[in-house]
Amino acid sequence: MAETVVTEAKRQRKEPLTDLLVVDLDVHLHESPGELAPYADAPWDVALEHIKDNHESYLDMPSFSPGVTDGSYQAKFPTAHEGARVVTDQKQMREELDELNVDLAILFPDHLLKLPVLTQAPYASAIARAYNAWMLDKWTSQERGLLGCIVADSHDPHDAAREIEKYADHPEVVGVYLPCAGIDPMWGHRMYDPIYQAAHDADLPVLLHSVTVTHPVFPFNNHGFDTELGRHACSHTFSIMANIVHMITTGVVVRYPNLRIGVTEAGLSWMPFLCNRLDKEYLERRREVPFLEERPSYYLKRQFWVSTQPVEEPEDMRDIVKLIELYDGEDRTVFASDWPHHDFDHPMKIDQIPFPTDEMRRKVFGENALELFRIDSAGRRANLR
Amino acid sequence: MADETMVDQTPGREVKDADDPAVKEGRTMQYERRPEGAGDASAEGSIKGGGERTTREHVVGPVSEFPEGSHRVVDIGGRQIGVFNIRGSFHALPNICPHQTGPVCEAKRVVGTLLATEKTNWDPEWVKDGEVLVCPWHGLEYHIPTGQCLAFPNIKLRRYDVGVEDDQVIIRLSSRAKASK
Repeated sequence: MAETVVTEAKRQRKEPLTDLLVVDLDVHLHESPGELAPYADAPWDVALEHIKDNHESYLDMPSFSPGVTDGSYQAKFPTAHEGARVVTDQKQMREELDELNVDLAILFPDHLLKLPVLTQAPYASAIARAYNAWMLDKWTSQERGLLGCIVADSHDPHDAAREIEKYADHPEVVGVYLPCAGIDPMWGHRMYDPIYQAAHDADLPVLLHSVTVTHPVFPFNNHGFDTELGRHACSHTFSIMANIVHMITTGVVVRYPNLRIGVTEAGLSWMPFLCNRLDKEYLERRREVPFLEERPSYYLKRQFWVSTQPVEEPEDMRDIVKLIELYDGEDRTVFASDWPHHDFDHPMKIDQIPFPTDEMRRKVFGENALELFRIDSAGRRANLR
Repeated sequence: MADETMVDQTPGREVKDADDPAVKEGRTMQYERRPEGAGDASAEGSIKGGGERTTREHVVGPVSEFPEGSHRVVDIGGRQIGVFNIRGSFHALPNICPHQTGPVCEAKRVVGTLLATEKTNWDPEWVKDGEVLVCPWHGLEYHIPTGQCLAFPNIKLRRYDVGVEDDQVIIRLSSRAKASK
């Protein structure tokens, strides 16, 4: 009897990660003022040159990436955990992703995560344009499985829309990144419609990604916390939830019903909460959102792809399966590592989720992402016009 | 800058520790509760299973290469082991974090940690100086002399039997003879 069980277990051994298609929704480049300067328009090329030797602390750099860990507001608790890993070129990136068994990676910036908190609109737009050109020149490569999201600067939505149109048919551009940290107004505001229209027309998904920043706008006014644990636990997820609530309650999902929206670095467990909470509010306040034809959760489940990192690590990993079921997420959950950041997830952790079927495992590790980005397993865009 | 962060750069690891059942079965600890002392070298003899248990001594280098306050990773037949000299006492731990397989012993330096209790009026005080290992991947802390994970009471790194003989640092590994032998 015991032997039969062992044989059964052997037969059902999973396909090794090395053989599985792994698409990573969130991988970070490390742009710097000196790198971007040659790609920037005047006078910002010179401005970037002038600050290229500013002190840099992980994701923070004065005049480029204002933040918390540069000592502006807080000091770090003493630790030997530096968590300041960066990748500096394409070759290093490919080698490290190979070690993680990642086949296709979607590239995001480091410093420009905080683009919305810059207070000079022309400067912010200029560095977004410079980043897009630099990323496509130095980093993306379909052959190497490195695909890019161009950054949409929120300060000047028309300029961002022009950038999307400019790169709409670039074979290595697969999405439009909407920076969320410190954004005001949030991404549901109608002023951003040109960005959504352009992304919709280019058949490119938009991707929400936040980061921890202390900033005097909701929900980033997190100065009340004494610890990075408190700030970091709330910043990413609250920002994502707030922006999504706004996008649904201002009707982005109705005006752009075919717009695909990806979510990074917020984990998964807020999804069931948001579905249930919004549906509950809708009972009483439907008249405020008369453009919705279905319950809010309908749009959340229809248009949002949620990535795993930082994946919840409950004592019993079967909880993750239940969690995904609660938002009908089999086709909408996507692997992400967040490499090379300090809180990255190794795919082995996601592989500890006891997926009920091999099919679901394949979907989460890669196939759902192909659907989100409209690419094939070699990273070729299937939607070039 | 690149040099400084080298140890932190190692992605994806396949470290084989044949004696760790978790690693053997292709999974790492999913926070399962292990019996008291199950990860300790002292308890190895009690592990059930066939085959005769043999202990082999491995010389990993002269004491002079392991000065007080230092630590480094040695390789014994493909098994990576972190050797620590804390105020003259030697400790040896596997270089694999049960959390996500990070190279736990490749931390650049050994530190202390913060503790806050009613006695300290809940203010943090610095304790266990020179005895705490922080995994360079995700920052999980371990107390080196006991292998105890500070965040999760049910996680403990196994401890290898390490000592000094004739000015040489020795690690004793016990293994079970293969059935085919």
